[in-house]
Amino acid sequence: MTGRLRALWRLLSLQATWNFERMQGIGMGHAAEPLLEGLRATDAARQAEAVVRSAEFFNCHPYLAGVALGATVRAEYDGVPGPQIVRLRTALCGPLGALGDRLFWIGLVPLMVSAAALAVVEGAGLSAIVVLVASYNVLRLATGAWALEAGLRSGIRVSSEITGSWLTRAAEGVGPAAGLLVGIAIPKVAASLLAGAGAPLVSGALILALAGAALALRFGSAASPVRLGLVAILLTLLYAGR
Amino acid sequence: MNLLLAPGLALALVAWGTIVGVDLVSAPQGLLSRPLVAAAVSGWLLGDVAAGLQVGLVLECFALDVLPVGAAEYPDYGPAAVGATLYAAGRTGLGGLGVATGIGLAMAVVGGWSLLWIRHANTRAVHRQAVALAAGDRTAIRRLQRAGLLRDIGRSAGLTVLAMAVALASAQIGLPVGPRADLVGIAAIGAALAAVATGAVRSAGRGPRLAWLGAGALLGLLWVGLG
Repeated sequence: MTGRLRALWRLLSLQATWNFERMQGIGMGHAAEPLLEGLRATDAARQAEAVVRSAEFFNCHPYLAGVALGATVRAEYDGVPGPQIVRLRTALCGPLGALGDRLFWIGLVPLMVSAAALAVVEGAGLSAIVVLVASYNVLRLATGAWALEAGLRSGIRVSSEITGSWLTRAAEGVGPAAGLLVGIAIPKVAASLLAGAGAPLVSGALILALAGAALALRFGSAASPVRLGLVAILLTLLYAGR
Repeated sequence: MNLLLAPGLALALVAWGTIVGVDLVSAPQGLLSRPLVAAAVSGWLLGDVAAGLQVGLVLECFALDVLPVGAAEYPDYGPAAVGATLYAAGRTGLGGLGVATGIGLAMAVVGGWSLLWIRHANTRAVHRQAVALAAGDRTAIRRLQRAGLLRDIGRSAGLTVLAMAVALASAQIGLPVGPRADLVGIAAIGAALAAVATGAVRSAGRGPRLAWLGAGALLGLLWVGLG
């Protein structure tokens, strides 16, 4: 396996050592190791310093960490001063985190999961789950590979590479699509789960849903739907068991 | 549900629960930990795909309210979905779905606490290797990474075993029967819809996504009405 492939493979377990001190730092150091091998032959001292820097604090969206990894490794080979590399790495945390969260966590994930849920309630069964996992991972792996290549290609000038890339356009476009799909899925899933229940039970579920959502939006995590769900299930269990 | 699981099936469920638990944070974060996926495959292993999909749909509504970022504390629905499906398999009616959801939610919260524990354990391990890391010792990085992964494998396996034990114990206690039992399922579905609606509105913010969400909800209602 080439250094790039090994780095990509290791990026899949970027967060295995997630901790409160360096966050993803150890995972980044682990992924950087195969890429920094080539530096040892030309400048062993520089390589040792690079290894130390590679495992320092880092935190961003895990799928886009390759951008920072590639950029900092390229900067190490280009002989960029160490403090500048540390600054680059720190500066990339926020933007890559925000971009990845928008594109994946609040974009593609709800969009694709909602599409799968719609397929399930329409009778697609397990095949909807297989398609969901396969298609999502193709996108996720392709993004990860692109991220590492973009970082390695641009080094210290990586910011302009990201700003002008498809990534920012995709993050902007996926939000409305996710909103639309989630919106369609909610009544369809509700109708599927409540199929066969009488009108009083359906009304009860909808009243609880509206009241629960209003409470959660008003009071935040203090009135989270998980807490509401646990309390409501416990109370109805006690009532039903009387 | 058969209270005595065949050893092979029990092992398969623990293995699957471990995979989905590790997938949430450590590797490879490929959607396996989504409750819809975790429960559907558990249902398939248990020979009741429909129960798995139904449990998965309900728990997924709760999971869509979660943003799994950085140091935030969030529930772990993967192993919880395995336990919930184990309870729901072979049962019909809303009562069983309600209790399964209760098991899933409770175990997901415990899973969230276990994630905090593992992060603290990782932090302590990194502290212990501080000198080696400062010296650029690559074997220390590899050791830490391996240990972190093993820790999460242990956490996920333990959580799955616990979720399965809770499911089997709940089955032994017995579920209330009759029309009142349906209320448990109604409570679970109502809370799930509250969760997915809350998550959708929060994610939409006040921008154009909110309008798209509203348009989608109207389309969905129309679809339900026509279908």
